[in-house]
Amino acid sequence: MSIIYQAKSIRTMNPHMPQATHIAVRDGHILAVGTADDIAIWQSAWGDMEINTDFADKTLLPGFVEGHSHMMEGMFWNYHYVGFYDREGPDGTIWPGLKSIDAVVDRLKEINATRENPSEPLIAWGFDPIYFTDRRMDMADLDAVSQDCPVIVLHASLHILNANHFVMQAAGVSENDNSEFIRRDENGKICGEFLGQMGMFMAMRTTNIDLLALGSSPETLVNFANVARQTGVTTATDLANPMPEGSEEPMLAQVNQDDFPMRLVVAYQGTSGTPEEGVARMRQLSERESDKLRFSLVKLVADGSIQGFSARLKWPGYFNGAPNGLWYIEPQRLRDYLKAFTEAGMQVHVHTNGDECTHVALDAIEEALRAHPWPDHRHTLQHCQMASRSDFRRMKNMGVGVNLFANHLYYWGDAHRTITMGPERAARLDDCGGALAEGVPLAIHSDAPVTALAPLFTAWCAVNRLSSGGVTLGGEAEKISVEQALYAITMGGAYSLKMDGEIGSLEVGKRADMAILADDPIEVGAAGLKDIKVIGTMVDGIVHLNQGRA
Amino acid sequence: MTHPAPIPFTVIGGFLGSGKTSLLNHLLSHAQGRRLYAMVNDFGALNIDAELIAAQNGNQIALSNGCVCCSIGDDFTRALFALLQEDPLPEHIIVEASGVADPARIAAFAAVDKQLRLNGIATLVDCTAYQAHAHDPHLKENYDRQIDAAHVLLLSKTDLVSRQEIDALHDILATRRRDVARLEITHGNAPLEIILGLDGDVKSTTPLPVNNHGLETWSTHMTPSLSRRDVAAKTQSLAPHVLRAKGVLSDSEGAYIIHYAAGRTSIEPFDGAASGHFVLIGTPDLPDANTLAALFQ
Repeated sequence: MSIIYQAKSIRTMNPHMPQATHIAVRDGHILAVGTADDIAIWQSAWGDMEINTDFADKTLLPGFVEGHSHMMEGMFWNYHYVGFYDREGPDGTIWPGLKSIDAVVDRLKEINATRENPSEPLIAWGFDPIYFTDRRMDMADLDAVSQDCPVIVLHASLHILNANHFVMQAAGVSENDNSEFIRRDENGKICGEFLGQMGMFMAMRTTNIDLLALGSSPETLVNFANVARQTGVTTATDLANPMPEGSEEPMLAQVNQDDFPMRLVVAYQGTSGTPEEGVARMRQLSERESDKLRFSLVKLVADGSIQGFSARLKWPGYFNGAPNGLWYIEPQRLRDYLKAFTEAGMQVHVHTNGDECTHVALDAIEEALRAHPWPDHRHTLQHCQMASRSDFRRMKNMGVGVNLFANHLYYWGDAHRTITMGPERAARLDDCGGALAEGVPLAIHSDAPVTALAPLFTAWCAVNRLSSGGVTLGGEAEKISVEQALYAITMGGAYSLKMDGEIGSLEVGKRADMAILADDPIEVGAAGLKDIKVIGTMVDGIVHLNQGRA
Repeated sequence: MTHPAPIPFTVIGGFLGSGKTSLLNHLLSHAQGRRLYAMVNDFGALNIDAELIAAQNGNQIALSNGCVCCSIGDDFTRALFALLQEDPLPEHIIVEASGVADPARIAAFAAVDKQLRLNGIATLVDCTAYQAHAHDPHLKENYDRQIDAAHVLLLSKTDLVSRQEIDALHDILATRRRDVARLEITHGNAPLEIILGLDGDVKSTTPLPVNNHGLETWSTHMTPSLSRRDVAAKTQSLAPHVLRAKGVLSDSEGAYIIHYAAGRTSIEPFDGAASGHFVLIGTPDLPDANTLAALFQ
């Protein structure tokens, strides 16, 4: 059964035929791409084909590839979103951004008043105090929501949370407790904020729930895929997952279903075991791969985050004088793991944020490649936010790709200018233009749930480099064009996953994975990219429409 | 009425290759009836004798002497949470901090969670690699953090370097941490009483033999005349020469157990009759027996 889809415009990302209006799909693959003039030729070869005009006034692009996201995005929708920006849930509900602490409290009161069991823990996520400069959330705010159950508000960073008095009491925290992980207000009083891993730990201890246990449950997968579909994503990543024995089976059962609207690439968390155990586990997993679920990557995390002051920076370090960040793995162990996975022919994505860390990661990759030469390894640096041009030149020479965290430009650009990096270094934050100019294969990402999964928004960030405070970071050298950004969220992502032979562009033989858009992003141009409506997606030729988006 | 006694929580710090695994092996094989629960980064590296393994289940290995090892995996928070859900609860938790972890951050869990009692941070300093680690541009602050966090410093691999080198390292560490005791060890042979504390049968607590490492032990039988606050204050006054103290005592408020560890005293109520035993372990600079007897009279 073949169907010809007619569109207003098809942007293929295929240089042989950049633009088209008709695309023929058969058995989940692309049979042909062309214009109305080609239909007769196609039909003479393949017989009569149904012509579908549902998208005759829409624009088709290759389905977007989100090369750095986390399945946890799906898990958090089991809790309540209270972030500053509008965010679309898996069922298409748009949760309006909450512009004050009082608005957050009001939202939580509403939820508490309408839920079935008001003694269960009330858990919210996405709160970001960076936008509320007048005051911080305190215990009284959350006591106003409820004094009869744990009320927990996870911050967007996932490293801090606020809790009500109920939680503090259950945890036995008193004014006598002195810990750098329990924040005190300007009067020295405990204000309900737990910092660092301590927050998540105490939240779990007082609710007696492993709040992260739903990490790869079927509901989480479905939520994640539905969020992806809303934004035109047809292939997303879970970067990374420790994949304990047997965990792949329930995932396969879910993802392999026809109505599951997404392809998923899971990166194995490299440090879950020894390098030898990791190599063995990856071999096991690779035998269980399906068309829609892949286990083709290893991820290693080398440092922390810039806004958390845990990224490793070169001299002169943090702009505000904060001490240098943390290694999440010893440089020596990073080298050992990279060598083992490189020797086994397994592609590695390394999380680096600070420039010192990027340097050390490149040293480790270089050492692994000297020991085990591999021309098309495509090891990739993830985030890599502070890379300099010299880092990009090394990457180019070694065949290392980059996936830059473009959404940071908007969400934390102002903080990077004034607090973490200073204006000069902030200008080269997530330097997409620099990467391309030096010839480094580029993808861009959201790191969902850290920021919202929405590749058109990510593209907008890379093109405009505008902070939420309205400042442009860097200039023309760091910006990329709309065409380059669209390539980055399709072919760029596909290349980074070694899937550019099957997805990422619309051409004969590739999988029929598409994003269906209300408008043509090339015509809309730089300013409006993020506002383009996504009608739905097609995955393996199966259409998945977004709710309320005919 | 029972009081669930907090679980002692010990952190082992030190760089890759500094001897943490040897130390853990030593502790696990000399547990003397303690049900130790060791949270480690890689239990393959422990190289546990197959005869000692009673059962292996996913990320846990149960030893025939009652100890358990579990691998931390990638999320210490979840691993510790899961451990504290177990029944029965472990008697003592030992955490092997990774070479780039700040042991103080791990210890902070015990400082906040009421079910845990911080029992100390022991940081290993590799005598053979001190120069390399202390001057590694990528790791220097990390190294300093580990030394700064320690309640006791263990100079490891002393058999592989000269006396002069060991003494030079003592001098360097003394400059940075004047208040912290330093012990020399080889192959992980640190005294258990120092790393784990005096955790034997509290009713018959007797001075444990501490023959090596030049440590001093003093014990007494205490009458209930001193208040628990007095005992705590007097013990505290012996810092930094006291490394460990423990007593099962009573005063007008009732029976209690007192521990001195990690620079502070903690007091827990005790169900039953107090034996009145009180034990101190300290460095050779601990005051002599007569002075101590007078102090705690």
